Amino acid sequence: MTTATATAAAPAPGWKQDPILVVKGMRRAFGGLLAVDVDRLEIKRGAITAIIGPNGAGKTTLFNLLSGFDRPNAGAWTLDGLPLSGLRPHRIARLGMVRTFQLTRSLARLTVLENVIVAAQAQRGERLDHALLRWLWRDEEERARERARLLLQRFGIEHMADEQAGTLSGGQRKLLEMARALMAEPKLVMLDEPTAGVNPALTQSLLTHIRGLKEQGVTIVFVEHDMDVVQDISDWVVVMAQGRILTEGRPGEVIADENVIDAYLGRAHTDPDGAPPAGEAGDA
Amino acid sequence: MEFDVILGNAARAGLGPQAAIFALAAIGLNLHFGYGGLLNFGQVGFMMLGAYGTAITVATWGGPLWLGIPFGLGLCVAFALALGIPTLRLRSDYFAITTIAASEILRLLIRASPATDVTGGPFGLQAIANSFYDLNFVPDGRYGWGTFTYSANQLWVMIVAWILVAGCSALVFALIRSPWGRVLRAIREDEDAVLSLGKNTIAYKLQALTIGGVIGGLAGIIDALQQSGVGSENFMPQVTFFAWAALILGGLATTIGPVVGAMLFWFLREGMESFIRDLSAQSWLPQFLADFLDGSEGAISVALMGAGLVAMMALHPQGIFGRRRDLHLGA
Repeated sequence: MTTATATAAAPAPGWKQDPILVVKGMRRAFGGLLAVDVDRLEIKRGAITAIIGPNGAGKTTLFNLLSGFDRPNAGAWTLDGLPLSGLRPHRIARLGMVRTFQLTRSLARLTVLENVIVAAQAQRGERLDHALLRWLWRDEEERARERARLLLQRFGIEHMADEQAGTLSGGQRKLLEMARALMAEPKLVMLDEPTAGVNPALTQSLLTHIRGLKEQGVTIVFVEHDMDVVQDISDWVVVMAQGRILTEGRPGEVIADENVIDAYLGRAHTDPDGAPPAGEAGDA
Repeated sequence: MEFDVILGNAARAGLGPQAAIFALAAIGLNLHFGYGGLLNFGQVGFMMLGAYGTAITVATWGGPLWLGIPFGLGLCVAFALALGIPTLRLRSDYFAITTIAASEILRLLIRASPATDVTGGPFGLQAIANSFYDLNFVPDGRYGWGTFTYSANQLWVMIVAWILVAGCSALVFALIRSPWGRVLRAIREDEDAVLSLGKNTIAYKLQALTIGGVIGGLAGIIDALQQSGVGSENFMPQVTFFAWAALILGGLATTIGPVVGAMLFWFLREGMESFIRDLSAQSWLPQFLADFLDGSEGAISVALMGAGLVAMMALHPQGIFGRRRDLHLGA
């Protein structure tokens, strides 16, 4: 308990001096259930931040709120100082914050290449009034196609470029979804369980890609259950339980934290007779 | 059996104005559903607005036809916006229900007695296409063989209608192959994914609804021109479903599908009707059966078309030109 409070109150020096994303007082209730109740959260620019927590902790709901797919009951959040409250998802994506989904959402009857190209931003040919005037967008389209091919190459699925995305395996879809998110040239990507349901070999390759993103200067926030993955690649870990931020810190510290073990394995695990501390009603 | 008569009737319907009208309606639906995933069950509403907008301008207000046609198409745009803005944010099933209700409400309003001064109410409007037929360059007479014949005026409507079919097919073809069309097809697959990539999906859906609706409006205008009048009974909900049948028969999300589907739909429907009529006149047929068939050829042929569609859905669900693999990939 003391470790957690100390970590949350006074983060290690050097952190959070330049946050790209700042969340203040965000609340989302579903009926009587407070699914997300985050007083303050800052995401450091250029770092890999993991959000962990037991099922039902509100991680995906937080993602949905931040990306505009759900509306909070209260709260404000900014990306690079720009307020995002009330913006529809496509506006948030255009500002440079792109998310992926827990269940991959490949566009099944488009080719793999089309899946990636469609993420290119500000394409003139995507405007209805330009769609028939091919000469206005032919060069731009060619550049986008070239860039998409390079991305597919980088993720090792270029041999599938002209196949329909619905024919890809689950792991290939994860790769495709990441390539697609990158095509949008985001400042910040939010990955919802990037390694869920992926075999160990592919997990390693996905993690390498995530590290590669960081080297490129992209900020990464990801939800993850696998503690090994979290320890492996994250610079900072935020632990959620019952909609709140339980604690945050460097991966080594957080994983050793008693509260985190409690939240994951249930309080009975460490303290069979103890009553829950104040403000923590019921089990996770 | 007089097979030349039956075949002639079937061919006349398969190439005639009706087939072209339904081809246009189905091309619009194909843009809506085949490429955009929009379940529009109210295509007849667009056809009706195109037809009535034109007819009201000419017959009620005494305006010229060249003004009536853009007015009718303008009403289609307004209908698409009125229908789409409140409902395209909702799930697709809500949108589908709204379209069928809205077009039927529109039809009941048009045929209501208080609207008689403008729309002709239950009597409809007549004599609207004189200036259209003045442009006819086809010399008077009948063209064709046996039952496969058209009058000069019908031929003139057909020429204009099939040119429009070709033009609208080319338009949809080009749109779908543009980056705009790629976004639309992506929305059909998964709207949230496209939204998360920074595309304003509602704007794309609204644009597709409007363009497909205007193509439906052209179908209605051709219908008004070929009958030189409009009547609310021509715009019952089943018109939409016949257009859907034509589209599914030809194959969704294909360029040629809605056109060939509409031709085949009318070829089969008229051929079957003609065949049953011929059958009921045969002396070898038991009397009770002949009595049953006599007078209900139309209904029986539509019922058989329905049964045929069900069989096709089971055996060849992708339609004539569709790709079976696409169905397995799902959305």
